[in-house]
This record gives sequence, structure tokens and C-alpha cells, in this order.
Amino acid sequence: MTVQLGRPETEAPARPLRTTGIRVVRRKLLTGAAVVGLVAWAAARSVPEGEVVNRGGLSLLDDLAGTALNPSFDPAFLRVVVDATVTTAAFALLGTLGALVLGLVGGVVLSDVAWDRRPPLPVRALRLVLRVVLVAVRAVHELVWALLFVSVLGLDPLVAVLALALPFGAQTAQVFGETFDAVPEEPLRALRDAGARRVSALGYGLLPQALPLMLSYAFYRFECALRSVVVLGVAGVGGLGFELSVSLQSRNWDEVWTLIGALLLLAALVELWSNRVRCNLAIVTCADWAVGQAHDTAERHPARLSRPVRASLWAIPVAAVASWWWVGLSPSGLYSERTRSLTSRLLSDMWPPALPDGGWSVLVGSALDTVAMAVLAMVLGVAITLAIGPWASRPRRGRDGSTGPLRWLAWAVGRGVLLVLRSVPPTVWAVVALLGLFPGIIPGAVALGLYTGGILARLVAEAWETVDLRPRDALRDAGVAPSVSAMLAVGPPSARHLVTYTLYRFEICIRDTAIVGVVGAAGLGRLLQDRLSAFDFAAVSGVLIASFVVSALVELVGRQVRRGL
Amino acid sequence: MSEGGPGPAPVVRLRGGRTFGRHNALIDVDLEVRAGERVAVLGASGAGKSTLLSLLAGSLPPTSGSVELFGEDLFRLTSGRRRQLQRRIGTVSQRSTLVEQVRVLHNVNAGRLAEWSTTRALGSLLWPRGVNEVREALERVEMGWALHERTERLSGGERQRVAIARLLVQRPELVLADEPVSSLDPVRAADVLTLLGDEALARTLVVSLHQPVLAQVHCTRAIGLREGRVVFDVPTSELDQPELHDLYARA
Repeated sequence: MTVQLGRPETEAPARPLRTTGIRVVRRKLLTGAAVVGLVAWAAARSVPEGEVVNRGGLSLLDDLAGTALNPSFDPAFLRVVVDATVTTAAFALLGTLGALVLGLVGGVVLSDVAWDRRPPLPVRALRLVLRVVLVAVRAVHELVWALLFVSVLGLDPLVAVLALALPFGAQTAQVFGETFDAVPEEPLRALRDAGARRVSALGYGLLPQALPLMLSYAFYRFECALRSVVVLGVAGVGGLGFELSVSLQSRNWDEVWTLIGALLLLAALVELWSNRVRCNLAIVTCADWAVGQAHDTAERHPARLSRPVRASLWAIPVAAVASWWWVGLSPSGLYSERTRSLTSRLLSDMWPPALPDGGWSVLVGSALDTVAMAVLAMVLGVAITLAIGPWASRPRRGRDGSTGPLRWLAWAVGRGVLLVLRSVPPTVWAVVALLGLFPGIIPGAVALGLYTGGILARLVAEAWETVDLRPRDALRDAGVAPSVSAMLAVGPPSARHLVTYTLYRFEICIRDTAIVGVVGAAGLGRLLQDRLSAFDFAAVSGVLIASFVVSALVELVGRQVRRGL
Repeated sequence: MSEGGPGPAPVVRLRGGRTFGRHNALIDVDLEVRAGERVAVLGASGAGKSTLLSLLAGSLPPTSGSVELFGEDLFRLTSGRRRQLQRRIGTVSQRSTLVEQVRVLHNVNAGRLAEWSTTRALGSLLWPRGVNEVREALERVEMGWALHERTERLSGGERQRVAIARLLVQRPELVLADEPVSSLDPVRAADVLTLLGDEALARTLVVSLHQPVLAQVHCTRAIGLREGRVVFDVPTSELDQPELHDLYARA
């Protein structure tokens, strides 16, 4: 996630480079000390005054584990599961399409080439406003959007679609704008020079070039949307997430397992499909999208859209119409009298923002809890990445021989475990963690850590698949021992990938603390949920502003650190 | 032949210059091109050839002075009027102006975007229009076989032919070509220049070239640029070796 507000592109003044061994060592020591200090602070902050383990809840966990092999196959319930699965997919699809529409329009406004590199004054003004709005929209988590929309629209399917489309659309606009600016601009320039209208010229000169990248990104977004819809279940948005929270609350453990099974199946199918399509578009891994790396797409051009891609392109409009009908979406809720009056009341309640009960100390304390939770979650996530990531990287054939079947088995198991970790929503991890642990930072960190680990390890594993092995082979050829040559040649790029994605995921993790907070862990999310259920909307906006400040600060620091890599 | 004295109104007239930051790309140029002329722009890399052509095309405003296209000051017009004038110019450049991901058909049809409405243009991407004219244009550049081919499969010379086919459907009065043959072998370069110089394509041509020989064969007038200044402006029949040598000599 990048905020691009007037990024200074000035080059550093030419000065003699003086990288000495001492400086390198000092910098490494300082970085290491900073990381250790941060983790130690977070750990110290997370230790509660009372007990950590909730002995009373352990028997419930036992029940949960006990029914793992006995999921519910009650026909009436299975019907509910199938309905919920379809609803989840439908919401994800509609939300993604909404985000794409917003992203396309926003992307054109944000792109420089679309305006012949000389945007007229009104466009420049609009752009400035848009950038600020996009940053603000993105900083609020989908779940928080959903909670706000629920208080205005009630349990309308619009809630799910809007809560997904707004933050995702903001992110998409940023990515599409950058994509437009990254493709060769000569064709567009030539058409404009020959007097073509702007939209026609974009359609002939820009869109065809950007389309493969945009499609690939759309499928990646769809995967993300699927995970988010499940999270939104906590806010009452229908689908698997909602059924999960109902079954968890009524402690019907066998139903929980059936639902998780359905969830995994859906997630696995969508990921396989999306991977296939993105591979065929020959573009980039999720990892690249995640950190927004610019890519040279010139390397490989498929002769034409492959069959899965074309089939998908036909299927999507049909599926979109079917989804619309299935969830009963009706935009009339947007401008009904009731919505209007509720919106104006909500806005007037939210303004001016106020401090929650307890004042600054509660607000700042919650903000610090949020950061501590995110730090601990990242520790767990990195541990999972280091433990599973190497196995989850697609085995690559060495020059000398083939890969053994055991290595492939390890790969499949590794990917499977990661799929489970990231597909089960953090809300569910949090509810489970809260069965065994008293509310606080630790259960939240555990829940977020498991989820983040599932995502981070996949991103890193996919990035590791692209590490160049030739330097290692060269060292081996020179007679260096295999382990040493791997450490010297593959270690540094792999570590770099790990650090990049960890920093990136940390920024997201800060946002995601809202999710586990809502189900009662700790931090700003819990404070937010607390104030929402007390209808204390002035404090809600105070908390929202605080979370915006925290994530903006973390993003700024993260960007500085990433640039320094 | 370049016509001295009073003649038809200039097709394009540039007076002024262009700077990029502190770098003077073009300094005090006063240049008129009249209908029917075939002008070669010669000069070393970085002498200002591309800047000159961008200024003439109206894609780059001059930092001082003005550009008059068909008798009207280009940068004093509304954008709609400017577009109407610009559609009478066709451009070809060294780097391909074709979109690789679409079929040749659409790349040629792109020449008609200026006369088409937006809906018609976008509709044609789904349901191609004017296929017969496109085929005829492609046949005239000996590329009739490539109508439905994807553009990325074509070679450099084939792409320049398709770019010329686009001009054929656009029917411009003035063609501005920025080093159209610099990446082609001598035989293909001569072919492409022959097509560009054809009266049926456009009455007037301004082309920047690296090889003076090609200018002597295909053009009527030669302009030499050196470090942003015009150092000679002569009929190609009067081009001589010392002038050319000075043009490419190191500063």
C-alpha cells in the first residue's frame, strides 16, 4: 500500500560514496537493535496483569477440536451452507466489479498520460482532492466501512458491495493509474497528435496495452475480496462469514467445521482459477501486486488470450447478473428517504469528533495496543513464513537432476497449510483464541499472526521462486560447498524479499487489527466497536481519526525503511 | 522543389524555439514548409530533430514564438479547433506508434479516430468497421495478408508499413516522420521512404533522417540542424560534402 502524495523524486546530490565496513556493521547493529527493541516493547506491553490462559474456555476448545472429524452433514444445514457459499462468492464478485469501475475512472483521472502529461487545471484540482480522498478511504478497514454502512442502510446487500468497492476501488485506482503511466505512451501520443478524441484515443492507444495487467490485478483483487467478505460476516453481511459467527456464538462446533470446509473449498477453487488466469496473462505474481513493483511486461507476450482467460471473460458478465439477482441488490436503498435522514443524522453525530471516555490516555493506550498487537502478529507471521515458506516455494529443478516426489509432497502440504491459515478469517481465529485466552493483545496478535502468516508466507514463497539461481550454480562450479554457495548467493535476495513483504504486510496488519478488535481482542478496533455499540458516534470518529493517524505514520516510516533497502 | 518568394501559403510555419529546463533544444528557428515540398531534416543525435518535428505536430508547445498550421496559430486555438487542424497531419516515428496487443486492423483504423465519434470508435473495437478500406490500404503497402494478424508478431519494417497504411486511411495533407527508417536495413528503409514520399499519401512530407543519401534520393529540400540551430536549408541537389561533414562533426 503506497501513499503517493508528491513523492520527492529529486536525485541525491553527488557526493563521494563512503561505504566502509564499520558503517555497514554499525547500521546493521542499529537496525537489529531497533527491531529487537520494538518486539521487546510489544511483548512487555502485551503481558496482562491477570492470567493469560482462560482455563474455563479450554474445555470449549476441546469440544471444538473433538468435532473436527465430525462436521455436520445435516441436509437442512448443508442447504444453508451452499446458499451461504454462493452468497459469499456473489458479494465478492459484485464488490470487485464495483472496485474495478471506481478504479478505472479514478485511474484515468490519476494517470498523467491520459491527459497528455498536461492535465488542465480542473483536472489537477480534482486529482488533488481525489488523492486525499483515496488515502482516507483506504485507511479505513472494509469491516469499519461495513459497520458504518450497516448503521445507515441496515442489513442491505448494498452494505457488502459498498464496503468492498470503496476501499478496494481506492487501491485499484492507484494501481491502474500507475499501470497507465507505465505502458509505452507513443501509440497514444500519435493518436492524440492526429486529432483523435480523448476517449477514443485511450480506447485504441492505452487500454489494449494496459488490459492484461489490469485483468491480472482484477483477479488478484477478487481473491482478496473473497477473504474480506468472510470477515464482513461479523458486521452482519450474509454469507459464510455470517454463518460462521452464528455457529460460533451458539457453539455448534460441528457446523463450524462444515462451514470452514466450504470456505476452504471455495478459496482453493478461486485461487487455482485466479492463478491459472494470471499465469496465462503472463504477468506478475500476487507478490508483485502487493508491493506495487513496476514490471517489464515486454518479456513474454502470449499470442492471444488463452482459453481459461476467454472463458472467464465470457463467464464474468453472466455471473455478475446472476449475483445481482441472487443477493437481491437494489440501489434504491441508496437514495431512500430513510437513508438520507439516517445519513445526515450519522454525519451530524460524528461531527465534531470527540475523545472516548477516559480521554487521551485511553485513546493513546489503545493506539499503542494496536501497534503492539501488529508487531507481535508480524513476529508470528514471520515465524510461520520461515517455517513453511521454504517448503511452499515451487520446487525448482537443479541443473543436475529432478526434484524428488517428497519435495513436491512437502510443497503441496505447505501450500495447503498456508491456504487454511489465510482462508479462515482472522475473526474466527480471534474467537477461537478468545476461547482459550483472556481478552487482550495476545489473542488478537495470535489470530492476526496466523492469518498474516498464511498470506505473508505465500507472497514470500512466490517471490522466492523468482530468485535467480545462476549465481549459486556459478559458485558451485567454482568448487564451493552447496550449503555455503546457497547461503551466499540465494540468501541475500531471499532475505530482501522477506523484509520487503514483511514491511508491507505490517502496514496492512495495522489496519487489520480493526478486525480482531471488533470481536473483542484489544486496541483501537475494540474501542471502535465499543463506541459503536454505545452509539457514541462522536467518539467513533475520534477513534477513526486516531487509526488513520497511526496507519499513516506506519506507512510513512515503512516507506522510508523500504526505500532505504 | 522549394519555392522561393511568394507562393502558396505555408502548410506549417515555426518561429521560435524550445528549451527543456536549461537545455536549449531549438534556438530561433524560422521555418516554413509549403505544400508539395519533401523536406529532409538532417543532423546528429541530439541536434533537435525530434523536438522540431514535435513542435510542427503541435504535440509540444514552443517555449518562445509560435507554430502556424495551415495559417492558424496552433496554441491560440481552442482544443477542439486544434484537433480539427491536427487531424490533417499524420505522424510516423522511429519507435512504433502501433499498439502491439491488438490486431493490425484496429491499428490501421486508428487513423480514422479523428473523424469518428467516440461511440463509433469504441464500438469498432468490438465490431470492426470499414474493413474493406483497411484491406485496400494494407494492400497498397503490400501487407494485405496481415489484416487480422496481431501486431506484436510483425517485424520492424512490417510495422512501419502498417503505420503508413494508417496514414492512408487518415488521408493527411502533411506527414511528419521522425526517423522512420533508422532501425531498418537499407533495402527496407528505401521501400518505406518510397511509400512515404508517394504523392498519393500526402502532398507534403517532413522527415528526419540519419543518412544524407536517402535525403538526396527521396526529398527535395534539406534542413541541417546542429546544436539546436538551423545551419543550412538548401534544395537537396545542392547538398555538398563539406556541409554534411560540419553537420556531423563533433563540437
